[in-house]
Amino acid sequence: MADLGRAIARPLVPSLRFGATIRRFHWAFIVGATFFVVVCVLLILTPWISPYDPAAQNLLNRIAAPSGEHLFGTDHLGRDVLSRLLHGGRFSVSIAAVAVIITGVTGTLLGAISARVGGVVDDILMRLVDALLAFPEVLIALFLVFVLGPGYGTLIVALAISGWTPFARLTRAVTLEINTRGYIEAAEALGCSRAFIIVRHVLPNAIGPVLAQGFLRFGHQLITVGGLSYLGLGVQKPQSDWGAMLAEAQLYMIRAPWLVIVPGFAIFLTALSVTLAGHGLRQSLRRGAPRLLGAIPSPKEPSS
Amino acid sequence: MARFIVRRTIFLLATLFAVSVVAFVIPYLGEADPARMILRARMGGELALDPAAVEAVRRQFGLDQPIHVQYLRWLEAAVQGDFGQSFRDRLPVGGIVIRALGVSFLLALSALVLASVIAIPLGVLAAVRPGGRRDSAIVTLTQGLVALPEYWLAPLGMLVFALWLGWLPAAGWSSPVSIILPASVLSLRPLAYLLGVTRASMITVLESPYITAARSRGLSQLLTLRRHALKNSMVPVMTLFSIWLAGTLGGSVVIEVIFNIPGLGRVMYDAVVNADMPVLQAGVIATVGLAIVVNTLTDIGYAILNPAILVGESNG
Repeated sequence: MADLGRAIARPLVPSLRFGATIRRFHWAFIVGATFFVVVCVLLILTPWISPYDPAAQNLLNRIAAPSGEHLFGTDHLGRDVLSRLLHGGRFSVSIAAVAVIITGVTGTLLGAISARVGGVVDDILMRLVDALLAFPEVLIALFLVFVLGPGYGTLIVALAISGWTPFARLTRAVTLEINTRGYIEAAEALGCSRAFIIVRHVLPNAIGPVLAQGFLRFGHQLITVGGLSYLGLGVQKPQSDWGAMLAEAQLYMIRAPWLVIVPGFAIFLTALSVTLAGHGLRQSLRRGAPRLLGAIPSPKEPSS
Repeated sequence: MARFIVRRTIFLLATLFAVSVVAFVIPYLGEADPARMILRARMGGELALDPAAVEAVRRQFGLDQPIHVQYLRWLEAAVQGDFGQSFRDRLPVGGIVIRALGVSFLLALSALVLASVIAIPLGVLAAVRPGGRRDSAIVTLTQGLVALPEYWLAPLGMLVFALWLGWLPAAGWSSPVSIILPASVLSLRPLAYLLGVTRASMITVLESPYITAARSRGLSQLLTLRRHALKNSMVPVMTLFSIWLAGTLGGSVVIEVIFNIPGLGRVMYDAVVNADMPVLQAGVIATVGLAIVVNTLTDIGYAILNPAILVGESNG
């Protein structure tokens, strides 16, 4: 009945409620998400706003300090650091994003299936999760580079192999809690299929916590991607991402500290913004904030 | 209890077997021919193109046998501690890995001890008044730490402490002081996670009735924490500590490469760069095997300390 009342009270124009909705989110989510959206917009607009060609060399103007002409200076080949930062960011952020989306979808589905089906399936999947926890991501990547050679695809596969496990554990925990609810019993009594229950009842409840987890994982993956490129195992020359820029810059660190500071700061700020967004979203859900992001408060995190 | 331990041990052995198969077979799936890798690593590039030489190496190393025969032969030697020779310098792989493991263990342990020393008091401090100003500051700090890439901090640390101030050596593993910089950089991420777990576990413990009882007896805040709360809240922290320790042994590749530390991460990185298959295989098995053994021991230790866990296990 309460739901009915609320539905009637809902104003016809949703935008009127926008301010009120915003206020129900934790400040960290608003700050982090806003910053992250700005980063994404800049990276999408890169081909139009990048001041120089990122590959254009100017050997007469090597290792120039930041100035009005080159906001972040130039590197050892006289290339504009700001332009390289923007173009490199497209690789770093898109690799991390693709990895998070793939692992988020598979992990969520596997977690929901594991908890709904139970029994042997649950046992096997959870043992697999435990076993994958033992593999550090960098190790998986090293192994794959040995087999497939370095590159964009290898990076995504390496991140995807173990990256789904946190989502699976989280969704499994959420689903186990939902399993005890009356409406699930009712759905089962009505003869709803397993797939229908998962799609109609489990997933809508899991979306909020999964989204929060996705933000946190995004930060983690962004840093891992950078690390692998830093080691020369990721994006290959002549293309470069933030990690590869850092690796190149290290040789000129004493003469040009900004070459090291700028790309690292970009990784840090982007990772920080999504981490804040993730934590903020989790806090907002705990307060029972926006109903569109899941009806139940998120359960306690599985350890780690 | 005995049944639990036996089941866990069987599972441990099965996982180790699966890991050994994966570690052995996967390097063969690549395009690169192992016989050519050996030639290239030992004799240089030209001989690797000579079909007769490749054929000779293939026969000499038994690479013409089917893969399962090669695997069984390798496994037979491996269980006796012989993991073959490095393609590159013909040294026994077992020795290379053991030596590197010692270095990585020292590095990981120092980083984790440093992390715990800072994380546990801060975590307790945050948990005393959850949601308070101090708590918010500490939680925000941990989010910042998680977002810091270690391959950024490491060069910056080198720049400031080694090149500008000259207090510490920039890289290498020759003197005891050279561990300070890499261990500090390596400690930051575990610090954030250990802090989070300490805080969460402390908050739970502080809500339990026996803490209220202690407080109502008039015990001071400090004594309540030290005498009653700390010990019970440390169980999840110790678990995380051991899992991180095992995971960091092979996972600190980036730090070991940056600081030129001859640990396991560095050895495996070099193995990939030089296409040195036996070293990579043994390195993966050592890292993952150790992690699985540590996790199993932690589980069993848990069960011995707190048999209630077995109730949840027995239905599986």
